[in-house]
Amino acid sequence: MKTARQPKYLRTPGRTLDAQLHLLDRQVLDVDGVPVTTVDDIEISAPPPETPIPAGTPAPTLTALLTGPVLGTRIFGGRPPSSRLIRIPWRDVADVGVVIRLGVRGEPLDADWVERWIRDKIIARIPGGRHDPR
Amino acid sequence: MILGDVLGTPVHDPAGLRLGRVADARFTMNGPPGQLLADARLLGLIVSPHSASSFLGYERTGLARPWPIAHLLRWRHRGSFLVLWADIDTIGTDTVRLREGFTAYSPALNDTGNE
Repeated sequence: MKTARQPKYLRTPGRTLDAQLHLLDRQVLDVDGVPVTTVDDIEISAPPPETPIPAGTPAPTLTALLTGPVLGTRIFGGRPPSSRLIRIPWRDVADVGVVIRLGVRGEPLDADWVERWIRDKIIARIPGGRHDPR
Repeated sequence: MILGDVLGTPVHDPAGLRLGRVADARFTMNGPPGQLLADARLLGLIVSPHSASSFLGYERTGLARPWPIAHLLRWRHRGSFLVLWADIDTIGTDTVRLREGFTAYSPALNDTGNE
């Protein structure tokens, strides 16, 4: 191992993203600028854990941003089962900056179903809840 | 694979020596063009001997302000390095094992201190 006392710098073409710095916990806006969710985790196309990686295996790619019911697991540890996490495909991401912008509308995504459910089942039943304030 | 399962995992060399923990994962967007953005390919993992918390980006550039935070984070993450995907032998739930003869790169983006 060549230690970090004599660090080798790796020049990489293209933009580099660090998961914790640029992606995790970022707010996600849809193409209209409407908040959709925040990024709770990331899915990559790597082999399953404990699988030896043969030399020459192509590097995995980022396949999806994950969101879901993580409040409890953030407090008590662990993470929700993979099946309960909602996936926003990377192909729908248009820009990564202060926020993550999608190139699609957020309404068809499953990521904001809680907000839609509250809007349709609770807010809409409050008198005046179906139109903009005047 | 879910990245959150890897962050914070201890990293060992082929001889079993503990090198630190996975502090971050670095992606490079130089893959084939996608629908909107290029594919983000995993370049490697950033390993920190002392802390698995975020660097807040201070490892990427020569940014030194605000002075107390920059120095605190640099001290907290002293000895950290970037290991490429090609040098990773196994990613497990308890350990990430590196290949024989792996190279530890500086986590800085380049030697100029600029992003």
